[in-house]
Amino acid sequence: MKLFDPTSRPVERKVEVARRPSTLNGLKLGLVDNTKFNSDTLLHKLADRLRRRHGMTVSVTNRKRSPSHEIDEAGIRALRSQADLVVSGIGD
Amino acid sequence: MLEKLPVEKIAINAVMAGCRPEYLPVVVAALRSLCHPDFAYHGPASSTGGSAMVLIVNGPIVGKLAINHGNNAFGQGHRPNATIGRAVRLTMMNVMNTRPGFLDRATLGGPGKYTFCFAENEDEHPWEPLHVSRGLAPGDSAVTVIATNSLYLVYNQLAATPEPLLLCFADALANLGSPNLKGFNQSLVVLAGEHSDVLRSSGWSRRQVQQFLIEHARRRVADLKRAARLPGTVVPEDETTWRHVFERPDDILIACAGGRAGSWSACLPGWGNKWTRSVTTRIEIPGGMA
Repeated sequence: MKLFDPTSRPVERKVEVARRPSTLNGLKLGLVDNTKFNSDTLLHKLADRLRRRHGMTVSVTNRKRSPSHEIDEAGIRALRSQADLVVSGIGD
Repeated sequence: MLEKLPVEKIAINAVMAGCRPEYLPVVVAALRSLCHPDFAYHGPASSTGGSAMVLIVNGPIVGKLAINHGNNAFGQGHRPNATIGRAVRLTMMNVMNTRPGFLDRATLGGPGKYTFCFAENEDEHPWEPLHVSRGLAPGDSAVTVIATNSLYLVYNQLAATPEPLLLCFADALANLGSPNLKGFNQSLVVLAGEHSDVLRSSGWSRRQVQQFLIEHARRRVADLKRAARLPGTVVPEDETTWRHVFERPDDILIACAGGRAGSWSACLPGWGNKWTRSVTTRIEIPGGMA
């Protein structure tokens, strides 16, 4: 008897994790707003807290087409070149 | 998520679902729709909204496979309807890893997540079939996929003209609990039985019906604020300011299915605020239609 497996394993990719900063002080912050309700409000409150506590500044904000869509290539390039650290949100 | 779906795996899942071999081209076309960038699979497949992937089949393949478009079109009793949608969902779970509790985060889900596949009743349609309205030829076979997370049956036994009948549809599409009152998402309207007759005999075009629904599927801002569907306190102008559910005629897909008798139709509000769009894919049959 031959058994057939209905499942597929995800394609595995090697992902290089960005280096973690040793301090948050004075870093440039990127924000990714996924357009969910209150996402922008929450992100900006978080950015304000990071500014007050660590002197971080928002250098780039990316507003996604929708929560379902990926960030486009231009957006990724901007985040890479202009931000030291990126915060993305939100879920529900 | 895989970058490509191996057809062997799709076939295995189709067998598990109970498909006959000749159903496979419909399953493959439906999966092509799911993988189209406009469908933006991630959102409707993983959302807490728990969308059903509704498959609407058109063209000569409907008769060939005996896909039900008549009495009980959304219900049980027909093998292709039961198994084609099931094969798509099993492939989503087994091949695309969209499993409940993992990538599928549905709060409640719904029975349409087992299978939701029906054909259009093209012979008694008030207008051209759905796939033709979306740019394909009448002789093409096609499947349209739309993600929806509710199904409201619309009943009206008295309306003999389009306006009162369509007001019931507009109200169903704009109820306060509807997920996307303010996002201009797509929605599906399925006309059945006597309601199809009312519209066919009225002479109204598909576009007229869509325009009527755009105009009347709306709520006052005050209603939305009182129900906390919009933030803020109600101010006097909110009582006369309207928020419309739809923006463009193409936001409203109109299909025709169901039995000839009865004053029932259905509204299926789409998932997401323009976060996904329905996709129609031509069904490719190896060697052509046998």
